[in-house]
Formats: sequence, C-alpha cells, structure tokens
Amino acid sequence: MRKRTLNRGLAGFWWLTLIFLYLPLAIVVLFSFNSTNSAANFTSFSLRWYHRLLGNEQIISAFYNSLVLACVSSIVALVIGCLIGYGMYRHRHRKLGWLIVLIYLPIVLPDIVFGISEMAFFVQFNRLTGLLEPGLGTMIIAHVTFQIPFVALIVYSRFVGLDPSLFEAAKDLYASPFKRALHFLLPTLKPALISAFFLSFTLSIDDFVISFFTAGPESATLPIYIWGAIKKGVSPEINAIATLMIGAVALAAILSLLFNRQGRR
Amino acid sequence: MSDPMPAAEAGSREAATGGATVQSRPREASSIELEGLHKRFGRDTVALDGVDLTIEAGEFFTLLGPSGCGKTTLLRILAGLEEPNDGRLKIGGKDVTDTPPHRRSVNTVFQSYALFPHLSVRDNLAFGLRMRGEPAAERNRKVAEVAEFIQLGSLIERHVDQLSGGQRQRIALARALICEPDVLLLDEPLSALDAGLRGQLQVELQRLQKRLGMTFVFVTHDQDEAMVMSDRIAVLDSGIIQQVGTPSEVYEHPANAFVARFMGHDNLFAISRSEADWVETELGRLTLEPAEQRAEQDGWLLIRPETLELGPEVPEGYNRLEGIVRERLYRGSRIEYRLEVNGQPLMAMASNLGQRMHAVGDSVTISVCPEDLVRVAS
Amino acid sequence: MANTQLVTRRHAVVSETRHLLFSVMPGALWIFIFLVLPSLYLMAVAFMTNGSYGLPELPLSLDAFKQLAGFGFLGWSPGNLYTLLRSLWQTLVSTALVVVVAYPIAYYITTCRAKLRPLMLLAVVVPSWTNQVIRAFGWMNLLAPGTPLSDAAQALGLIGDYMGLYPSNFAVTLGLVYNFLPFMVLPLYAAFEKLDVAQVQAAQDLYASPMRAFWHAVFPQTLPGLLAGTVLVAIPAFGMYVIPELLGGGKGMMLGNLVANQFAGGSNWPLGAAGALLMLLATFVGLFAMRRIGKRLGGGEEVVI
Repeated sequence: MRKRTLNRGLAGFWWLTLIFLYLPLAIVVLFSFNSTNSAANFTSFSLRWYHRLLGNEQIISAFYNSLVLACVSSIVALVIGCLIGYGMYRHRHRKLGWLIVLIYLPIVLPDIVFGISEMAFFVQFNRLTGLLEPGLGTMIIAHVTFQIPFVALIVYSRFVGLDPSLFEAAKDLYASPFKRALHFLLPTLKPALISAFFLSFTLSIDDFVISFFTAGPESATLPIYIWGAIKKGVSPEINAIATLMIGAVALAAILSLLFNRQGRR
Repeated sequence: MSDPMPAAEAGSREAATGGATVQSRPREASSIELEGLHKRFGRDTVALDGVDLTIEAGEFFTLLGPSGCGKTTLLRILAGLEEPNDGRLKIGGKDVTDTPPHRRSVNTVFQSYALFPHLSVRDNLAFGLRMRGEPAAERNRKVAEVAEFIQLGSLIERHVDQLSGGQRQRIALARALICEPDVLLLDEPLSALDAGLRGQLQVELQRLQKRLGMTFVFVTHDQDEAMVMSDRIAVLDSGIIQQVGTPSEVYEHPANAFVARFMGHDNLFAISRSEADWVETELGRLTLEPAEQRAEQDGWLLIRPETLELGPEVPEGYNRLEGIVRERLYRGSRIEYRLEVNGQPLMAMASNLGQRMHAVGDSVTISVCPEDLVRVAS
Repeated sequence: MANTQLVTRRHAVVSETRHLLFSVMPGALWIFIFLVLPSLYLMAVAFMTNGSYGLPELPLSLDAFKQLAGFGFLGWSPGNLYTLLRSLWQTLVSTALVVVVAYPIAYYITTCRAKLRPLMLLAVVVPSWTNQVIRAFGWMNLLAPGTPLSDAAQALGLIGDYMGLYPSNFAVTLGLVYNFLPFMVLPLYAAFEKLDVAQVQAAQDLYASPMRAFWHAVFPQTLPGLLAGTVLVAIPAFGMYVIPELLGGGKGMMLGNLVANQFAGGSNWPLGAAGALLMLLATFVGLFAMRRIGKRLGGGEEVVI
C-alpha cells in the first residue's frame, strides 16, 4: 500500500519536473507565433516574426558566422585531437601526467575565465604585433582550444576499447606504419571521429561566453546576436530565432534516438 | 617461392589433391635458429634467460610451459612483435633479429584471433596480400583457394561478428596461411574453444601442417595438446628451456622434476642414496637398469602408473612392493588405484580387461620392471 | 654484433620518442600557447595597476585585490563582498535544490520499464542541449511582470505591485537549477542502476524501517554518483555569467558578472583579473576537495564527459 502511494507520488513528481523543464521552451515557441509584440498575452497565430527573420541581414550573417566557425574549428580540432588521442593511447604506459593536466584544463576552466583570458591575450598580442584582430580567426582559435580535449578523449577511449592484438595483427600482415594508419586505424576510428566531430560542432554552435569575448565587430554568432537583442529590449524576432534553434535541437534528439535504435539492431 | 618440381609432376600432385590449391606446390620450409636470446621487461622481470634452440624445417614444434614461463614472449620475438635485449634469431638461415614484423615472412594466429571488425571475412583474408601490394585478381584467386583448402564455404561472405569461436579460429588461420609465410606461429589458438571442438581441431591442425610441410611453432600450456600435435616439444620454465625432445622423450624421460610434474607425473620419489644398479627411495630399495643410473646421489625416481602390475605373482627380476589400496577410481577404459606403500602414495593404472578389481582396503603386491624406472634430475 | 644491436635499439627508442612528440606535441603546444599562456598572463594582470583605458600597466601592486575586497576611492564599500557571498550562497542553494529534485527523478527512472528509460533520460537531457541564452530568455518570459506566474506571486504577497519574479535572486536560483538539473540526474541514475538491491533487502531483514533502509543501504551506495554530480554542478555554477546577468539584473550579480564588467565599459582589468584568479582558486579548491572526498569513499568515479 505504501509502495503504491510512493510510486504515484514519484510519477506525479516526474511529470511536474517535465513541465518545469519544457515550460520555458514551450512559451518561447508559442509566442514566436504570436501576432502581437506582447510577451504576456497571446493574441492570434501569425508567422510575421519569421518573415521578419528572413529579411534580417544581421541574423543571416550571424547564422553564417556560427556555421563557418563550427565547421572550421571542428575540423581543426578533429585533426589535432585525433593525433593527441592516439599519442595518449600509444604511450599510455609512460608517465604523461602533464599531458592529462593539459587536456583537462580547457574542460575544467570556468568559461568566463577562459573567454577573458583569450580576450586579454589576443588584445595584447594584437597591440604588439598587429596580428589576430578580434574576429572569426580569434574565435576559431578559442573554439579549437576547448574542442581538442573532447576529441582526444573520445579517440582515446575508442582505442582503449580495442583488442590490442589487432595492432599486432596488422603488423604481422605486412602493413607498414603508414599503411596501418590508413587501412586499420582510420577505418576503425570512423565512428569515433564522426561522434567527435558532431560533439565539437554542437559545442561550438552552442557556445556563448567564449565567443562573446573573442568576437570582433563583424563576427557575431547567433547566440551573440540573440544576447544583444535581449539586452536591447525584447524584440519579438528573438522568439522566432530561438524557436528555430530549439527545433534544431529537437531534430537532433529525434535523430539520436533513431540512430541508437538502429545501432541496437 | 620457387618451384623446383617439373610441371608434369606438379600437375599430377594437383590432380591428387583434387584441384589446384595455393599450397599444392612443395614447400621449401624454413628452419629457425635462436641463439642466446634474452628478454627483460622493465628492470625486474626476466622473460627469457638465455634461450638457444633450433627448430627444423617443416617441423610441428611446440613451446610448452605454465603461465609466465616465457613461451609467448619467445613466439612474439619470432613474429617480430618483441625485440630481444640480446641474442640473434635466424629464419631460413637469414638473420632477421632486426627486421620489423611487417617485413618478415612470418605470420601469426593470435589467441584472440584479432580479426579486423571493420572488415568482412573476405577483406580480412585478403588484408596481408593487399598490404604487400598484390593486385586484386591475384588476391581474389588466393582467397578462393584458401577458402577451399580450409573449407570455409559460405563463411567468406559473412561479417566478423556473425561468426562463432570455432569459425573465427579457422578464418584467423586462413588469413595467416594465405600469405604463404616461411613459418606459421600459433599462440594458444585453441584455448578459447570447448573440449569437443578443441580435440577435433587439434587433429585437423596436425594434418594441415603435414600436408603443407610448413614449419609450425605452436604455444600451449596443455601438455596433452602438445603431445598429440607435435613433432618435438620444448618445455620452458621461468624463461629457461628445461627440455627439448619428441613427445615420447619428454613424457617417458623427463629431464628434471619440473618437466616430470608438468607432464602430469605424480609418482615422483626422492632418492636418498644411489649405487650401481639400485636406488634408495621413500618407497624402499628398487633396482633399475644401469643405463638409467646416474652419478649423482640425489634426484627423483619416476614410476609411470601404467607400468605397475598388481597381483600376487612377481615376474623374475622385477621389483616387489607391498601396499594397500586406499582409493579406486573407475575410469571406464582404465582403473586408477591410489595405493599406499611404506606410507607413501603411489598411483597405479590398470587397463580394464574385465579382470577382478581390487577393493579398497585390500593388501596388494605390486611389481615393477627395472626397465620402467626412470631417474629424473632435480 | 652487439654494437649493431645497441644501435638499432637506440634507434628504436629515438623513433618511439619522435612518434610521441609528433602525435602529442601539436595539441599540447596548442593548448599551452592558447590557454596556459593567456591564463598565466591574466593572473599576472591581477598584480598590475589599472592604467588608462583600463589596460594594465606596471608597477606591480596589490591594488586590485584591495578593490576586490571593497576598498575603493571612497573608502570601504561592501558591494563586492556581497557579490562574493551571493555567489557562494547561490551555488550552495542551487546545488542543494538540484540534488533534492534530481534524486527522486533518477530513482523514478530506474523503476520504469527498461525500454522507457533511455527515452526518459533523453527527455531530461534535451533541454540542456538548447543554448543557455535561450534558456535564460525563456525564464525571462515566464517570470516577467504581468505574466501569470508573477501575478500569482503578487496575489500571494510575495512580491510588490508591478514587479515581476525577475529580475531577482530567486530567478537566478531558478535559472541555475534549471540549467544544471540534467547534470545531476545522469550520474545519480548511473549510481541507482548499479545499486546492489541485496543490501537493501538485508537491511529490511535486519528490522530496518523503509526510512532507515534508505538511509543506511541506499544512500551510501549513491554517494559516488552524488559526488560526480556535485562536481558537474557546483563548480560551474560558481562561475556562471549568463544566468545571473539576464535573470538577476543589477541586484543578482555574481562573481562572473563582476569579473566580466571590468573588461567592458568601465574597465579595470586588474580588478577583473583578480576576480578571475579568485574564481580559478575556487574551482581548483573545489575539484581538489571533491577528489579527496571521492578517495575517502573508495573508488569515486572519474568524471569523464
């Protein structure tokens, strides 16, 4: 008897929590279709804010910047992180404590300290050399820096899960070091590389604080634009662009569900 | 590999084996020479402590010993996956100590099979050929040949994770053989299989080796497996070779107590005194053949259980012992008696020919021929 | 003979080291140049003086730290200290609330059918995949003056007329809990999954009431998960910027905002750097403390994302 009321109570708590989790997002989505500017009253259904979105050059350029930044930084981080993940695995019996510290540093550092350090560094560097003006370049550098550890760890754990004698079998079967890399390492790593790229891409697109502090006047990304719009006062297009971003997340969630179901089969 | 046989003979051989196979050409098998091999891991662990060994061309040679004796290390040095700290290795007369594994004509069947999970069975088989740069047509032909030779049938088109343990083992073997190495190395390839399959594959592997005429080096910790399959066995302990010999030599005349115990012998008795044709042991005084006698005063006496006769009649010249049956174990084709003689346990094995079995607690007379007593060093 | 062996062995060692350097150095160098050096520079800035345009200049001084403690032009003001205390307070409260909410949720998920569980976990985690700016914005919409929630709060007398639930400390706490809830649910769920039910049954067999059975048999086993979750929640919460900035307004300032402001309009880089240094210190102290506790618990789980 007691167990049943406990379970009912827990179930109720679960649904309350779900409402708590999705309510803010639901409201944003709802009001993006609001025909008036009000944040409090829903008047009637309309797509006008979405129309305004498409005509807003700043948003389009911010979207473009976000994509370019995410793509370029993810690719660079993939290469560097893959190398370092392999090195960590291949030499795992050596004392590489300093390397572990370096790898965990970007993850552990609070993003505001990260962002401000980068900004201070780039500003002074720019003053001294005239290079690295705040812009997409500095943002890419900063993003790669926090993406590398994730890629390295994903690659490393993929290697650790392998049967070590596979490496030896490749040597035994006449593969030179270069051929081993091409015909054994890379194909084996493929799923890990794909998920590492996906993770890096997501981290980059979603990032605000670090991007904010390393951005230049022309290189606003989508989160930076939204931030600016919020600060200036609620512009109703924000609901629309936020809804689109929420939609992208929902799509990713559905895809990951399907992907997992397929993988299980 | 060059084919010294004239074409006509080669053709008839092919006909005899029922179809052209990659391995129907006679092999020029390679011998292996190991000189003074030392291998150390870290600062403290000595894996191999001065190993000298010659393996004849075309032999099925087994490295036998308990875990940690160095047999796997030795095999890996043969493969090129480990480098010795000292010593030389020659295969087919050529010094290959410094040759990396991907340039040695040696292939390995790994204990875990090590099939590439991202490749199909066919691509696994062709991997070594591909790495050596052989064209696709050649590769396909050889894959078909080896598939027929090892009778893989439809397994070729499957994927690695669809295979059972026994099937994987055959693929691993085929993948190594397709490269036609000078030497084939096998690292406990049957240890993961169940007893029935294991027995069957032991015989198949032995047949295969004879048919190919290739030098096989096999590693196992199972003395029965070693005796069934090998031409010669090397018993190792703590990085040192204890004995090298044919299965009958190692079983019937073990070089020392370690080898005797490892081959499963229980009836070892410490020798306290030794004269011209007799020895004094815990069992009592026993005569043995002078040829078997040694100069040392100590050591062990080995009595194989199957050589003991139980019954009141003691043949002329035989040693006579009196004992009591403590346990009797019925093993179907044999009957195992655990006896006690002079307070010492003694095991006897009698073929089950339908004779009356001795009961537990019976006093029994035991005869053993002096020729069947073996002296074993400490 | 032996000489060629030695030469090849030395060659092998050299090429191994070369391989290590080639694979590891690009990443290590990158992180060193683009993170370690900037962080070191920032720490150095904390000890410099505030020059014109807010950019740091020599000579070295401890002015920034004094300012951080509140000693400004006009004598001592408690503003900065309040900010620091508020940061600590918010971290504590939000972490505690996250634990209180995540615990039953994690447990409930384990009681559901196995097929449902990944779906339920996904449902909890997906909101955290949205951008944190959008999440904060969502709460701004919900808590603004004139919204149903604010009206209800007004009616209950919790807030004054024409005010909203945001900007306020309450809104910041809410935002933090919302942000970090999934990061506590996941490790706790993992701990519950591994739960040794036999221990609970043993406790009941030994006359423990349900409450006591929970406290003595269930709770200790979930401690590693709790610890992992706390690391993922409390330490980032202390350094939050976006949530206190958007939901706190002027009054909800936390350390992160204090630091960020010094690098914006009214700049004072050394003061900002001093604050950042403090934040770094808090982070490392927190991590160190968690590791200690983790070791005491015996094999606490490594936090690998």
